[in-house]
Amino acid sequence: MGSRPGPRLPRALRRVAGGFAVPLGSVIFAFIVGALLVAITGGDPLQAYSGLLCGGLGIACANGENSALQISTTIVYFTPLIMAGVAVALPFRAGLFNIGAEGQFLAGAVACTFIGVKFSNLPAPILLPMVLLGGMVGGAIWAGIPGVLKATVGAHEVVTTIMLNYVAQWLIRYLIVGGPLQLPHGFSVSSPIGAGARLPSFLPNDNSLVIFGLPAGVYRVHTGLLIAIAALAVFAILLWRTSLGYEIRAVGQSQRAARYAGISVPRTIIVTMLISGAFAGLAGAIQIAGVDHNLTDKYFNDTTGFDAIAVALLGLGSAVGILLASILFGALHAGGAVMQQDAGISSSLVQVLQALILFSIAANFLRVLRARFPSFGRRPSAPAPEAPAAALMTEAAKAPPEESPP
Amino acid sequence: MTFLGDIAHVLATADLWRLTLEAAALLLLPALGGVISERSGVVNIAMEGMMLTGAFFSVVADLAWHNPWAAALVGIIAGGLMALIHAVVSIRFRADQIVSGIAINIFAAGLTVFLVNRLYGLADVGHVGQANLLPYINVPLLDQIPFLGRVLFQQNVVVYAALILLVVVHLVLFRTRLGLRIRAVGEHPQAADTAGINVYVIRYGAVITSGLLSGLAGAFLAIGISNTFVPNMTDGRGYIALAAMIFGKWTPFGAFVACLIFGLGQAIYDNNSIIHVSQYLLSMLPYVLTLVVLAGVVGRSIPPAADGIPYAPENE
Repeated sequence: MGSRPGPRLPRALRRVAGGFAVPLGSVIFAFIVGALLVAITGGDPLQAYSGLLCGGLGIACANGENSALQISTTIVYFTPLIMAGVAVALPFRAGLFNIGAEGQFLAGAVACTFIGVKFSNLPAPILLPMVLLGGMVGGAIWAGIPGVLKATVGAHEVVTTIMLNYVAQWLIRYLIVGGPLQLPHGFSVSSPIGAGARLPSFLPNDNSLVIFGLPAGVYRVHTGLLIAIAALAVFAILLWRTSLGYEIRAVGQSQRAARYAGISVPRTIIVTMLISGAFAGLAGAIQIAGVDHNLTDKYFNDTTGFDAIAVALLGLGSAVGILLASILFGALHAGGAVMQQDAGISSSLVQVLQALILFSIAANFLRVLRARFPSFGRRPSAPAPEAPAAALMTEAAKAPPEESPP
Repeated sequence: MTFLGDIAHVLATADLWRLTLEAAALLLLPALGGVISERSGVVNIAMEGMMLTGAFFSVVADLAWHNPWAAALVGIIAGGLMALIHAVVSIRFRADQIVSGIAINIFAAGLTVFLVNRLYGLADVGHVGQANLLPYINVPLLDQIPFLGRVLFQQNVVVYAALILLVVVHLVLFRTRLGLRIRAVGEHPQAADTAGINVYVIRYGAVITSGLLSGLAGAFLAIGISNTFVPNMTDGRGYIALAAMIFGKWTPFGAFVACLIFGLGQAIYDNNSIIHVSQYLLSMLPYVLTLVVLAGVVGRSIPPAADGIPYAPENE
């Protein structure tokens, strides 16, 4: 189709549009099915979605919610999602499916809390880098185990990372319910990290200062957002501008070809998983250092690492895509609470939407519909460009079973 | 008493082993489902979601009809329908089976809570009366055997069913033409297709069967062991079943042995007032053991050759 001159749009723009078609179609599909579900069970989909819109983006609020506060909440939600999304997207490029971002996220949170509590007296210039680095190391260890097992004995990373998710979950319960990190006389909560381990908020915690009609202290947007954006940039540069990134992509496309090109496949797998785990661990550390300041029972049911899978898939593994998908899921999570409050629709509808997006993007309903109805969505004579990233992501997700056991 | 003395004391009680078998049966059903599905070449990490769906709908049905048998059937069918989604998405649409499995699990967790909210408001789901639970049945005479009678013959009806299904699944997979076909489709679908086997039919059947079995496990959990539905009540059991399947090297009896080991952990967990091991560390056991198995310490665990690869006929 490259020979065919584009009608009006430059080819680059068309490619971007093609890249957006699949994710956008998936989101629309999910919202339509979600609306049907609400309607069938006797609810009002419009009311539900306006609740989501208000809670997520601060638009069209019926009950006088503060828009600035809602947007701030959404940002707090999507900050760790960006880094966890990178932790899933990077291994995708190497043909690895990291389902363990959740466990790595928790490991990072544990490491951050542990250091932040044990060395709580250190000043911020020393302690803050320590807890963030500690979180990265914690996550890297948690992802390194599946990496090593994959590279050495060929154990499937999907299964090993699932197992490690649960190990991390139970580890947190052990640590803070009667375990070594539990706050003395507290229950299901760890001691708080030292003041020096906390990421500063953008706004001072000063209730005499009123911003957008509310005291500045209620906005929890914190400087972790800057770290998340930086992480995204590191991801993009690593992948496209370094020899390691080239090796990762080469291994993802064909392990055999990568081997012939002199790339050590086991080494690349292990390094990819270590870096990926560091991203997820950093997300966990930032959640502790920036938002919660201690481990709580909230972390038993955390889903950041699972949301990250949806983020990476919906974002087609690109930096911009991950950012946009993170904003979407952050907004959905923030919106769910308002929807439940205003429209009386359980916030678990958000999970349903998320699952529907996953189904749709995985099955690529659009592609199949087009194959069956060639005229679907466009003129029959002009086959749209396959979204290259989408194709690559699906290929990567299949985890080529090429490595033959010795 | 000493720590080891405590353990010895608990291990000598029939109740511990009765609970072990009960917990093992609960894991065995989805594990058998996983074995069937993956033997046919469809990766199934969605047992968790199918169980949860079965648990929810069996409670809804039991509260409405006051009939545990009909309720269990509803739970089984609900699990099967969830599996049908997985089958359609991953067989018909050739989606990535892992993504589809994750989506099923998220979907089930969200949908059940959403429906609890729509059907029962934000209050509790309500409790099923004792008379309407799946019954515990004492096998006459046999249940009088000292120790063994309590362990083996004073169990829930679903435990007996699970043990029968264990033998049935083993025989079907390894002693019948159907089983040969399932395994052929999971190892080399092209060859099976050439030999006249309908790859799609076999895979649809296998995946749906895994949902039916998981749905039964969900019903057992909700209206047998427990008497109500609480959000996320499966609490990772579907994933432990997945671990058991791998631990058992994709064989029914291997999975059963794994279920017994994990079930013993669960039973000790329930007896934690006597043994002062941290129950949370104990809960890691299934996952850590499976990692150890996967690490090749206890022999390799190798999946069916075509496991996870969508089948596309070459002439399509």
